[in-house]
Amino acid sequence: MSRPASRFISPSLQWGMIGLIAIALSLWQAGLFRQTVVNFNGFPLLWRFVAASVHPDLSYDLLATTLQASLVTLAYAVCGTFLSVTIGAIAGVFCSEVWWLEVLRAKRLRYFGFHSVRAILAFPRAIHELIWGLFFLNIWGLDPLVAVAAIAIPFGAITAKVFSEILDETPRQPLLALINSGVAPITAFFYTLLPQAFLNLLSYSFYRFECSIRSAAVLGIIGAGGLGYEILLSLQSLRYEQLWTFFYALLILNGGVDIASATLRNQLGCASRIDLNSHRPTKRNISNSRIFSLFPIAIAGVALSFWYIQPDLSKIGSPRSQQLLHQIVQTSLPPNFTGIAELIPLSVETVAMSVLAIAIAASGGLLLAFPAAQIFLLSGLLNRRGNANLFPLVLLVIARIVLLLCRAIPAPIWALVVLYVLFPGILPGAIGLGLHNLGILGRLFAEVIENLEQPPLKALSAGGTPNSLVFLYGVLPATMPRFLAYTLYRWEVCMRETVIVGLVGAGGLGRLLTEQLSSFDYQSLIVTLGAFLVLTFLVDWISGRVRRSLRAS
Amino acid sequence: MWYLPNLEISVLQLMKRLLTSAFLFLSLLPLSACSNNSSPNSSANSAAQTKTQTKTFVTGAIPDQDAEKLQRLYGKLSQYLEAELKTPVSYKPVTDYTAAVTAFKVGDLDMVWFGGLTGVQARLQVPGAEALAQRDIDAKFHSVFIANKNSGIQPINNLKELTVLKGHSFTFGSESSTSGRLMPQYFLQQAGVTLEDFKGQSGFSQNHDATIALVTAGTYDAGVLNEQVWQKRLQEGKIDRSKIDVIWRSPEYYDYHWVISPSVKQRFGDDFPQKVQTALMKLDPKVAEQKEILELFGATKFVPTKNENYARIEQVGREIGKIK
Amino acid sequence: MSSDPIISVDRVTLQFGQFTALTDISLHIVAGERVALVGSSGAGKSTLIRLLNGTLEPTRGEVQAFGQKLHQLKPKHHRQIQRQIGTIYQQLHLVDNLRVIHNVNAGHLGHWSFLKALISLIVPLDVATATQALAQVGIPEKLYDRTDRLSGGQQQRVAIARVLVQNPMVILADEPISSLDRELSREVMEILCNCQSSRTLIVSLHDVDVALRYCDRMIGLRRGRILFDAPSTAVSSEMIADLYRL
Ligand SMILES: Nc1ncnc2c1ncn2[C@@H]1O[C@H](COP(=O)(O)OP(=O)(O)OP(=O)(O)O)[C@@H](O)[C@H]1O
Ligand SMILES: [Mg+2]
Repeated sequence: MSRPASRFISPSLQWGMIGLIAIALSLWQAGLFRQTVVNFNGFPLLWRFVAASVHPDLSYDLLATTLQASLVTLAYAVCGTFLSVTIGAIAGVFCSEVWWLEVLRAKRLRYFGFHSVRAILAFPRAIHELIWGLFFLNIWGLDPLVAVAAIAIPFGAITAKVFSEILDETPRQPLLALINSGVAPITAFFYTLLPQAFLNLLSYSFYRFECSIRSAAVLGIIGAGGLGYEILLSLQSLRYEQLWTFFYALLILNGGVDIASATLRNQLGCASRIDLNSHRPTKRNISNSRIFSLFPIAIAGVALSFWYIQPDLSKIGSPRSQQLLHQIVQTSLPPNFTGIAELIPLSVETVAMSVLAIAIAASGGLLLAFPAAQIFLLSGLLNRRGNANLFPLVLLVIARIVLLLCRAIPAPIWALVVLYVLFPGILPGAIGLGLHNLGILGRLFAEVIENLEQPPLKALSAGGTPNSLVFLYGVLPATMPRFLAYTLYRWEVCMRETVIVGLVGAGGLGRLLTEQLSSFDYQSLIVTLGAFLVLTFLVDWISGRVRRSLRAS
Repeated sequence: MWYLPNLEISVLQLMKRLLTSAFLFLSLLPLSACSNNSSPNSSANSAAQTKTQTKTFVTGAIPDQDAEKLQRLYGKLSQYLEAELKTPVSYKPVTDYTAAVTAFKVGDLDMVWFGGLTGVQARLQVPGAEALAQRDIDAKFHSVFIANKNSGIQPINNLKELTVLKGHSFTFGSESSTSGRLMPQYFLQQAGVTLEDFKGQSGFSQNHDATIALVTAGTYDAGVLNEQVWQKRLQEGKIDRSKIDVIWRSPEYYDYHWVISPSVKQRFGDDFPQKVQTALMKLDPKVAEQKEILELFGATKFVPTKNENYARIEQVGREIGKIK
Repeated sequence: MSSDPIISVDRVTLQFGQFTALTDISLHIVAGERVALVGSSGAGKSTLIRLLNGTLEPTRGEVQAFGQKLHQLKPKHHRQIQRQIGTIYQQLHLVDNLRVIHNVNAGHLGHWSFLKALISLIVPLDVATATQALAQVGIPEKLYDRTDRLSGGQQQRVAIARVLVQNPMVILADEPISSLDRELSREVMEILCNCQSSRTLIVSLHDVDVALRYCDRMIGLRRGRILFDAPSTAVSSEMIADLYRL
């Protein structure tokens, strides 16, 4: 009332405008309105790459290599996921607001505790797996342990952050109701919030598994082997036919995990909301026992994977490792601040690249998520007769394949491909990152839609509301907050990943980082990592503010 | 009380499941424990590497070109060395310059086929490491500067004319490549061309083939790469000469070489580097098996080399900032 | 008044930011009393109930339960007091995706150990008590159903069963019969009123007739103030008309 203007400019509008301005500024930074960006002469080369997709190299030798490499990548991914979800589950609880606010009821300690845990976790998160890999390489040498830890540490921190956000966005009233009837807060937490959030947590864990597969592929570069290594080898000599064979393997791996996750979630009763108006008999609830029958399988899988890659666990605390750790700390200190002035324009480039990337990813993901969500067109949300006809099915399959392809191919490779037809700069990097993240965000969005509360929509729909309005009034408001949360979180990931597209001359801090790495200039490297850390904090802060102000409105 | 039987069943099932999971979990422990002391049968088995490190001579390489071929190449070479040295020899693949140098430093690799710059970087991090041998061509290595025909850049005759590249976009290969980065940047510097003189930021295509592709596409007006790769691709007919061509061939410099770690002396005896050097030089193009190895290296024979040959590379590395 | 009040509210004002939801409320309730809260929508009934169970803190004034000042207690004692106050919320606040039995068992959590609670989430414990409570509210067959598959009225009864299992000295019920038909409403009110004579009941109701029939005292709330606080027998139709006047 005191600020009449704020009635018309709602926080969402405000942030939307800020977002658009940021995108426009980033485009300008990318030189879009200042110079030619498209290189038409490069299309024949792009075509060669695309054309190779229809005749991948299917020779026996290569297929054998592919199979073995896929197994290695899968095993790394399983181990990495296991560790990162374990880390994430524990740390996630400790950096959720609801834990400090409602469970510990720590009023004064809250700010200190909550923010310090978050700050600690921002550190491993800000640094890309590849850098972690190189760090561990310095202390453990060429051991499979390096790749596993390189996945587990940053992914554990990311998982922790997302888990905490899921917990914070889960309705708290049941928790509060129990706490206020005198139940010990910790008991109430495990009894209400965790079961409520369980499916989201599980679903995210599966998603993490897919991320680990992609990451295991990228880590192949530093000697972890597997598909990433093979892809890099073929890429270096531009053998596109071989490249596509490996891509298809990645596609199958990623798609397999996707399907497995969907099936499992179905069985756990997650998708049962879809059953409401279909004619399938409602299954008796068996979720608990189903979940428990998963455990032996999961444990066996993890055990098998660890056995397959054989990390040398004794290295973790060995004196030799400690000595090497000591050595690397010594060579990195004191930090060399001489190049600090250079960091500012590079940081601007990095931020611009990440903003463009996330803009591409979010808009593309949004567009593809709805057709890709199983419940959306297929089982009757916007298809009232409830009979699955062909058109939505085809659309669903196409949307899913596009999303899968986008996320299966690593960002640096997208960037390199884009570089054929765009002039160098941050734009090809941003597009490469954007395409890769589009696949990921699209899948996340689709899952949000599939987990959507159906009854309110049915209510709208039953009232004779046209489909478009059901969408506008029912679907969008219900999904947007989570879409936004995922987008903001992915924005941070995009920023981290600018490191790997920096490889192809996409600029930004990533490029400086690779230069410093290859010069073994650890004293300057540490300063650049510091800049990344600052940027991560910045993004974290902005995304927190955006979400808080949107939730309040 | 209809629910009771139901409940009991679920409790029973649950007990069974919990027991199976516990069993599986327990079986995992000895599994991962014994994985540490099981003896390896494949060279890639690195878990057992700590135990066998003292016995196995581990070689490695940074693939600079035809990386998938290098895989085969090293298989052949380790067999040959194993026979010559009467010691188990294994090969570990690494695809990244930085990773290879680090692995050499940490002691996971005993002998590595480095480029000029990376060899120096590795030796500086491992005191006592020695440059051992190189191919005949490596003592007189060249880079070629190439340009897209549409860029209007004409061939030049001497170093000073590299100034024609000013105002054009330009790509190097990998950051730490000697032929794709270090020496070219040094020659450019001598001609008075700095990185700021190029249009936009100079690129790092990461490898020689990518440089060819990107200059062919016109993404970059010009680029620079290893002459050996260029020649090979020319022979293979993989270069579209209506689109790109060489504008200048650089002066010669030292490049690729084998670097061996001093730790082998403790493990295999003081004369071990000597033995390895001899074995490498003994590779004979007249023996079919050995000819194949040489061919895969693109060499006619190996010749001895020494640390001092790379003093110039080191100096240039320091000037350009690749060595601190 | 024959004995000390079990709950007493002393000159309490409660604000949500700028908005004052309760103004200068004072009331004393002794053990065994059955009190109805009536008033039109938005009058502050739910707010008062959340104040009484310690969820909300008064902006001014003081709330005492069992002779203790609620908001000055250490968490542990605060919890001990809260265990004796069971609340049926208007929005129920059940854990939707758990089975009914878990939601009913949640009433036990105040005195279950953490471990027991965890185990019970996997293998439901104390099934007999839960079944009995569910039988009291008329849905014993729903024991193993998922809570969100129940109808609105059934869910309301699950919330009531939870409080029955908790077996507190005081029950706060926020419109516990809003989704139930007459016959069920009658049964539920009877359960709430007749369990033990010593149990105190504070129930907010929209139906004045029900309030008159089951409660011996009525508190009329209007725009956050107490309009009347009288024995049911003394409540006249004018007072009611005044209460619901627009
Ligand atoms: N958390 C809150 N923040 C701000 N205002 C609130 C909050 N909770 C309640 N109010 C306001 O306080 C007033 C009283 O609400 P309350 O829920 O107590 O009403 P009620 O008497 O229970 O109504 P009903 O019969 O509709 O349930 C309302 O105007 C409501 O908008
Ligand atoms: Mg109310």
